[in-house]
Amino acid sequence: MESFNYEVIVVGSGAGGAMAAYTLTKAGRKVLLLEAGRDYDPKKETPMFKRKGEAPLMGAGNIDKNFGFYDATVDGGWTVPDEPYTSAEGTDFRWWRARMLGGRTNHWGRFSLRFSEHDFKGKSRDGLGADWPFEYEDIAPWYDKTEALVGVCGTNTGLDDMPDSGEGILQPPPKPRVPELLVAAAAKTLGIPTAPMHRAVLTRPLDDRQACFNATNCGYGCSIGAAFQTTTSLLPMAKATGNLQIITDAMVKSIDVNDAGKVTGLSYVDKTTSNEIKLDAKVVILAASACESARLLLNSKNKHHPNGLANSSGQVGKNIMDSTGANIYAHIPALENRPIYNEDGNTSNHLFIPWWGHKMQTNGELEFARGYHFEIGTGFKEPGASVGGDLQGYGKNLKSQVKKYYGASVGFALRGEMLPNKNCYMEIDPIVKDKWGIPVSKFHWKWSQQELKQVEHGLKTGKAILEKMGATFDQPLPKPEDAILKGGEIIHEVGSTRMGDSAAESVTNQYGQTWDCDNLFVMDAGVFASNPHKNCTLTIMTLAMRNATWLSEQLNKGEL
Amino acid sequence: MKDLHHSKQQASTNYQYTSGLTRRESLKWLGVLSASLVLPSIIGCTSKQREVRTGIGSLQGHWPELKLPAITASGYGKDPSLIMPIRAPWGKTLTGEQLTLVAVLSDILVPRDGNVPSASEVNVPDVIDEWVSAPYVRQQNDRLVILSGLQWIDDESQLRFKQTFTQLTNSQQIQIVDDIAYSDKEVPNEFVNIVSAFSVFRKLVLAAFFCTPEGTKDLGYIGNIPIIGDYPGPTEEAMAHLNLKIQELGL
Repeated sequence: MESFNYEVIVVGSGAGGAMAAYTLTKAGRKVLLLEAGRDYDPKKETPMFKRKGEAPLMGAGNIDKNFGFYDATVDGGWTVPDEPYTSAEGTDFRWWRARMLGGRTNHWGRFSLRFSEHDFKGKSRDGLGADWPFEYEDIAPWYDKTEALVGVCGTNTGLDDMPDSGEGILQPPPKPRVPELLVAAAAKTLGIPTAPMHRAVLTRPLDDRQACFNATNCGYGCSIGAAFQTTTSLLPMAKATGNLQIITDAMVKSIDVNDAGKVTGLSYVDKTTSNEIKLDAKVVILAASACESARLLLNSKNKHHPNGLANSSGQVGKNIMDSTGANIYAHIPALENRPIYNEDGNTSNHLFIPWWGHKMQTNGELEFARGYHFEIGTGFKEPGASVGGDLQGYGKNLKSQVKKYYGASVGFALRGEMLPNKNCYMEIDPIVKDKWGIPVSKFHWKWSQQELKQVEHGLKTGKAILEKMGATFDQPLPKPEDAILKGGEIIHEVGSTRMGDSAAESVTNQYGQTWDCDNLFVMDAGVFASNPHKNCTLTIMTLAMRNATWLSEQLNKGEL
Repeated sequence: MKDLHHSKQQASTNYQYTSGLTRRESLKWLGVLSASLVLPSIIGCTSKQREVRTGIGSLQGHWPELKLPAITASGYGKDPSLIMPIRAPWGKTLTGEQLTLVAVLSDILVPRDGNVPSASEVNVPDVIDEWVSAPYVRQQNDRLVILSGLQWIDDESQLRFKQTFTQLTNSQQIQIVDDIAYSDKEVPNEFVNIVSAFSVFRKLVLAAFFCTPEGTKDLGYIGNIPIIGDYPGPTEEAMAHLNLKIQELGL
């Protein structure tokens, strides 16, 4: 590194880290980026057009590849070899990690919905959780810039839960499929809207990236760069400036401070040799993922920061929120034996159900404070390891049953806002260490009535829509505590280093700068003050772009 | 009366399923197979019969209590090549007799249909073998269910006809299958376990069949091809069908 005179070290190459590195290098800053996983090149490694039938076990998921054989995640998932985490008694929290360049952006759902003023000011409205330390107007231009750079398809709907993008920013969305149109017709009779999902999938070429060619599951990764991941966009673009160097297999162990308590650099383990290496840095940006960055801070104790670095507020590791998740689906007789056509599209939902309950909540008609949306799952999908339907018999008649059921089920995946509560947090396990000698995270988790009431409402609503479509339910709905997915399972864990207006109640200011160390920043979802139901990645990137720009300005001014 | 479409192999009592492995794969597995000879055979099971009387239809419940050796092989790990997937890296465990039984049953479930091949013709038994031999939880659970089911079917054949299932005539085979292939009517106690196990087996056979290029074509899936330009959306025919249904549902 002697020949590369970097100013800033970024920890993590996912949504936040790559955007920070891109923004800084474009501004002329020299950046060294550390990634705990291996190098990864989607152009060479993505199984484009591979059939499930070519994969072991017809591509079915298992402990090695939780989301199926072809899922892009490398050396990760709910477990990472040699890097455990622990849970308090009674806690069943799941922590998804990826150990690869680009992190979790290589397999994410690409859902890219903006948060709104309504989302940023929840506490002002209902007294729960925390407000964000800025207004929507402060962020709107950065959303525009991020959407234009990332490439997001969708439309401006004018709905109260979906702030409009700037004119010309969004790319055209793909046409809806038949079952989605049936959902739209049924939902409309209940006063519930549907809208094109906003996704970070190109429908027009952008930079070196091609438009989606309507095939191959986005979760496999995307060798043509249509489905956004940092490994086909921000990272190569940042590298092209000549201002970025990347070290992979670099597991950061601690952040180092000087006698004044100011950050001087960090120590990482080179996983290929197990050697520990010290690096100096003028500025350090943590973007290792919310819980990994919190772990790093809590593990970086020193005499100036006895409770962990940047933790004078005691909020590091607290306020962890995931999205709520629950599923309801049904067989729709009206969709049986319908004319077949290619329903791959961009391989995810083209329409979704945005949150429509602002007025109901204002009027006190609901027993929960925050909203949710439904993602629609349906279509003539590629055959895989599971065959649905209550099948009987054998022979020709059996096959015709399968054909009748094919493409005739519709599912709703609920994604809702969780409120922070004192039972959901992480700390450092006092005993267990990972292979690299780094103490591991220990999670605590318990849903509150807010989430359970929300899921109960969602299941009833989902059922009502499906019934309008002609579905019948012979079983009662499950209890919300049974239907709600486990904490962490939606992989939207945020809030562990939240931003705020005061050093007493938050870890960073609105720019992700830690209150306790002015040259230490957090630019992952740890800084989220709340967790709106709209999927976190677009906002992670938007904040990273805004905050890295601010950071660069501070360097220009000779601050830090 | 149910469909009776049998390929001619099944009529022969000498029929043996031949694995669809390529020669290269076969050579690779020679080593694995010889190593597995030292393991206790899964055929060494006890068939527990609570009550057996003579005469078809009068058999009371029997269910084999298999003692299966644990699958100790490793999985494919967390970073397998996705471009050149290796099938069944854990090795396969079904015996030749079991594979043949799986083939005969698979072809009863998915017989040849005009130009569309039967399940065994597209090597579905190999996929079943890969599945039940895999070291993962879901597959290990299915392994006990499916191997028990296979054993039950042979036990039942012996009790009814004093021969293994693959040696029976088509109509004898169908007599047994008719008793175990339906869960939507009242299931006599003695068939409860096998009806449930057969249902697991049936879904696996169907999945393996429809995952082949021939099966996928038969199902009608026409995706996984690039469409340059905007996604065209539903065809006129598909929209006409939808509009009719929207009207019928009163939406």
